[in-house]
Amino acid sequence: MTVLDAIGEVQIPLLAAMLLLGCATKVLQMMRAASADENIGPTALFPMHLRWPLAIVLCAVEGTLGLGLLVTAGQFGEHAPADGIRLGSCLLFLVATGALLELRQSRPEVGCGCFGDFSTAPVSARTLARSALLAIAGLATVWVGPIMWPRTVAGALGLLAILCTEVLLIGLLSPEVGDGLIRLGYSAPCELRNVPAARTLAVLRRSKHWRRYASLITSEVPDDVWRELCWRFVVFPARYQDRQTDVVFAVFLQHRRPAVHVALVDSTTGAPLESPTGNQRSRWAGLARLISPANGLLPVFNTAQAGSAPADLPLSTDL
Amino acid sequence: MRSAHLVCCDRCASLTGSSRGGAAADPAGGSAGPGSTASATTVARRRLLKSAVFRPQAELAPSGWGADAAGPAADDAGRQRVGFADAFQLPRTVSGTILDVSPHVLILGEGDREQRFALTPDAVAWRGTQLEPAALLQDDRAVVRLHPLGRNVADRIWANIGRVTGIITERSGNQLLVDEGATRGTEVIALQPRSLGRIQVRFPTLEPGYLVDIIGVRHRGEFIGMIPATSQPAYPAHRLPAPPLVSGHVPDSIAGSATWHEPRDEPPGILGVSYPALDPETGCAEDLAADMRPGYSRMPFLAIGSVLRISNDCTGRSCLIPVTGCTPIGRLFNDRCVTCGTSPRGRVADLTLASFIALGGELERGCFNATITIGE
Repeated sequence: MTVLDAIGEVQIPLLAAMLLLGCATKVLQMMRAASADENIGPTALFPMHLRWPLAIVLCAVEGTLGLGLLVTAGQFGEHAPADGIRLGSCLLFLVATGALLELRQSRPEVGCGCFGDFSTAPVSARTLARSALLAIAGLATVWVGPIMWPRTVAGALGLLAILCTEVLLIGLLSPEVGDGLIRLGYSAPCELRNVPAARTLAVLRRSKHWRRYASLITSEVPDDVWRELCWRFVVFPARYQDRQTDVVFAVFLQHRRPAVHVALVDSTTGAPLESPTGNQRSRWAGLARLISPANGLLPVFNTAQAGSAPADLPLSTDL
Repeated sequence: MRSAHLVCCDRCASLTGSSRGGAAADPAGGSAGPGSTASATTVARRRLLKSAVFRPQAELAPSGWGADAAGPAADDAGRQRVGFADAFQLPRTVSGTILDVSPHVLILGEGDREQRFALTPDAVAWRGTQLEPAALLQDDRAVVRLHPLGRNVADRIWANIGRVTGIITERSGNQLLVDEGATRGTEVIALQPRSLGRIQVRFPTLEPGYLVDIIGVRHRGEFIGMIPATSQPAYPAHRLPAPPLVSGHVPDSIAGSATWHEPRDEPPGILGVSYPALDPETGCAEDLAADMRPGYSRMPFLAIGSVLRISNDCTGRSCLIPVTGCTPIGRLFNDRCVTCGTSPRGRVADLTLASFIALGGELERGCFNATITIGE
């Protein structure tokens, strides 16, 4: 058996698997939708009343060709039906490549629908390359005779190597694989995660920052709550030194020990105010004080640096 | 002198009410009133508070979110540093009713005020189709783009332009009843036979349940659809496909399509953007009024007052613009903008008229390819 023969033989089960998988996922999609509204890839190119019949025809053709490739792989491999089925497979993938090109031009937002719900990513060069590769694979099967089990271990290993290489190549050309892997171990980034405001408030009320400012806060209900990316901001009205003020908390949206920032702001002017609990510096600032210049253990900070962390900062940095 | 229409959003607080009342009356997160647009007061106040809470971290660690939050609203210098649109640098927009027009001069009226604009030699107008400015009519409602370098010089006029974006709820002959969302209500689009074919090229399914986005002219209380604004998603609105998943780090810059919407309850001329992914907990008046689903967009959650840098990828122009509303219908669209190439994803921003024009958009095109950057 030459290498070309081996490559041709491998294509038959591979194409059959692809066709049957495509058919099954499309059937699942149609059963889930149970409606003619559902678009299956290139059917979006057609008027709405034609989409449902076309989707059924496409499924039927894929299923028939997939089964046909398997049935005619063995002893019927030399007969006309086998050639017809294999030519049909090649033709299907050629037409699919053309349709995907057209779909990419006219409906760039629509997925190829090759594997039903899994193929929602817009048609890309990879999708086109995969379709073209399968068309070539279909062509390679046309002159292959009946498939026989390999007689030697080396022959079997050779076929397996070709099969694995091609499966890997198809996998690389399939956007569905990446999506599938993402779905398997998916955890939404915090920027996209819906976190209830009530949970944020509960976390905040357990924090030391809340306890530090609780005596100033005049309302149980926040004045304003909003979110940006992974931070939720909560503003409470407060009274400090006979002035109307706001206490602003910024809570990082994570489950355990979230970072909290806090500031006290004059309600009228918006100017930050001195912390009522004294200067809250970070543990590093505390360490710096311990080994202060007076102790001769650290070089003197220049005034610009000192100015960047003024003593009257109204917030906590001990996260 | 700059008119009230031309001021930047962060300077609109004086136009819209008290400094504290807006936010105090709106603890749900800035979805002010029945509409989906917050007051500029909320925007400015949130920027100020965020700046106060993050400032020291920004000074200690100049990169990252803390740096982003540093100082944008602390003082005027900070405002300039953060780069909000300057009316002298960007094309400005004026709206009004045409009182008189000649090949060289346009007179607009708004209330008791009259404004006179010189027209550049290459000035063009649009009223359903491109025409000479002199062909505009008295009492046409005009949106005028002023030349960035010339005061009171106009180079582009859109007359009676309107846009309807929503879900078709009923079709009767050549009339479509379109639901624009719980807070915007319904609108009837009249389709004329000569424009129907053009619209159906990009909106082939004008049937109930499908999304539609059409630009047209408003005439005596009627909206006449003229051109498709973008292209129709292939799915009905009640059956959105699952949006693609995002894993790992969310990129700071997202490229997609920027559209525009007609002002309803917004102050005229406001530079703002409706963002498709406001925090569902506190974000959108539309969500509170109706059970709207998250939509197709899977984008980082933001709030009224967040600041986006929006770049027009077709012209290269960019500007920092605050989020002033949500776009509950826009986020149902998974369409593409093809103004200059094909945008890699659907709608990432729904701009106010003034923002869209300021960034170099042509209203009749419906969209431009845009990149938004969060956290600058």
